[in-house]
Amino acid sequence: MHILAIEGLTKRFPTVTALDRLTVTVGPGVTGLVGANGAGKSTLIKILLGLLPVSEGRAAVLGLDAFTQSAEIRRLVGYMPEHECLPPDVSATELVVHLARMSGLPRTAARERAADVLRHVGLAEERYRPIGGYSTGMKQRVKLAQAIVHDPKLIFLDEPTNGLDPRGRDEMLTLIRRIGTEFGISVLVTSHLLGELERVCDHVIVIDSGRLLRSSAITEFTQATETITVEVEEGADALAGRLAELGQTVTPHGRMLLVKVRGPETYDAVRDATADLDLCLIRLEQGRNRIEDVFRGEAAHV
Amino acid sequence: MSEIYDIGYRHYDGPRLGRHHTVLALGVHSLRGVFGLGRPARSKIMPFSLAAIMMFPVVVSIATMAMIQQRVGDYSGYAVVMQAVVAIFLASQAPTVVAPDLRHRVLPLYLSRPVTITEYVGAKVAAMTVALFLLVAVPLTVMFVGDLLVDMPGPPPTGEYLGAVTMAAVLAVLLSTVGLALAALTPRRGLGVASVITVYLLSTGAAPMIYAALYESGYRSAGAWGWLINPFWLVDAAQVWLFGSTAHIPDGAYPGGPAPILIVLALIAAAMAVLSARYRKAASQ
Ligand SMILES: Nc1ncnc2c1ncn2[C@@H]1O[C@H](COP(=O)(O)OP(=O)(O)O)[C@@H](O)[C@H]1O
Ligand SMILES: [Mg+2]
Repeated sequence: MHILAIEGLTKRFPTVTALDRLTVTVGPGVTGLVGANGAGKSTLIKILLGLLPVSEGRAAVLGLDAFTQSAEIRRLVGYMPEHECLPPDVSATELVVHLARMSGLPRTAARERAADVLRHVGLAEERYRPIGGYSTGMKQRVKLAQAIVHDPKLIFLDEPTNGLDPRGRDEMLTLIRRIGTEFGISVLVTSHLLGELERVCDHVIVIDSGRLLRSSAITEFTQATETITVEVEEGADALAGRLAELGQTVTPHGRMLLVKVRGPETYDAVRDATADLDLCLIRLEQGRNRIEDVFRGEAAHV
Repeated sequence: MSEIYDIGYRHYDGPRLGRHHTVLALGVHSLRGVFGLGRPARSKIMPFSLAAIMMFPVVVSIATMAMIQQRVGDYSGYAVVMQAVVAIFLASQAPTVVAPDLRHRVLPLYLSRPVTITEYVGAKVAAMTVALFLLVAVPLTVMFVGDLLVDMPGPPPTGEYLGAVTMAAVLAVLLSTVGLALAALTPRRGLGVASVITVYLLSTGAAPMIYAALYESGYRSAGAWGWLINPFWLVDAAQVWLFGSTAHIPDGAYPGGPAPILIVLALIAAAMAVLSARYRKAASQ
């Protein structure tokens, strides 16, 4: 069964089309939803939660229709909004217990679950203090804890690393990976940074202006990124032509050329072509194996 | 620390209660919030001092009944006499019910759960209504129990007491819907307090002025409508029509007939519409 099945989903706001005939499916595991600011990531999540009406199209979450069965869906999913959403004058424990009860857990179960998940997200003694005094990293953990306190099947995490320093970002990503694997909860996590999700995702969906750019397993992304970057002082076009003649796949990228690595012969071809054309080689860099680079390559074609 | 951290994740396979449980839990949570229960001590000062002030007339009334066998004040007029205290309670506590969730954008955390906007708003209105009802009905009931215990000559005023308690419920619904609507329009707590108290003071100041102005210029019967601008006199006017009690106004009379109770219902409906629009807007953000 698909965790998410989205078909021709369109959302128009008075001045912008936030989602434009988006069709994509998502399987179990951790899925990254990547796109620049304003790409439509948050809008998609709100629609899947039944918080926003759609203009056209259909969507199913965990096999339930997102428009007619959103009450059932909200029982089974968790949501971590991208913006701040925590009242400052209550403690993390109080808030998470209360929200567990709002998900239908009886009082004692709510207390137990809240204590459990707050420990899992790494909030210790401070969980009894008012949230107003927390650091951004701690607040993000509380937001994550409330999203999983009712043991959902699927969680939507909207930009969970926003505002975190590199270490906090790392810890958050590790936590997300654990939720997806050890906890067995499927995750849809958004980010405007492609690179940061590759560590934690099984699958990545890239959207731009509400349209699907790409949806593939992380392995496909990384396989496709075996490239080298070549930069010459002048004559990049001639070099591209010669490399193509030699049977290489070349994509111009600004002043540089991205060359797909077929094997050792690719390096030989670059060496021979620059030597033959008598070009001055400034840079020859091994592919960094980043989904960012693939995305750049693909975006160049779009 | 690390060994605690390493306890594996446990799934929850216990019961998941239906929405009436959720709404009840939210209502009780909000009601506790109105009285500052589960909050720091300073949050309890205001509601409990006002509730204590509401008991003063009760103490005086029971004392005079016991000592000189006389009733001072009546059940039907209690809410009108104590209106300033009730209004301050509404102004100070209505913002605590609605403002924090709006101001700190907590609403999505509720609405991404089975709770709907209608249930959320309903629970908040119910909590404020119960709080106001308790504020007025508990002293009335204590006074009535005292009345029975003192065993005054003649039959006990049971009808008047029951009428007053019924009207306390009507007053509570009217004040909570209007008060919460005003407070919800201003997510900052201080502004919410100020706006509720301002509306109350204006209505209280305007009522006798409108009455006097119309009365002096010869529109004697029209002047009666002036009193209805204040919510406490409005509900008192409804009580006069429904239960035949006396009017508790400084001068003149109320317009008779069902008009006051219809105005009460219209105001409640209007306030609910404002609340619902306000929350629908907040939810789509
Ligand atoms: N409530 C709204 N009213 C009008 N436009 C909106 C609203 N919410 C989002 N948008 C617009 O829709 C587009 C997508 O926004 P959003 O889903 O928030 O993007 P992302 O989360 O990917 O940054 C943006 O152009 C944004 O300005
Ligand atoms: Mg967003």
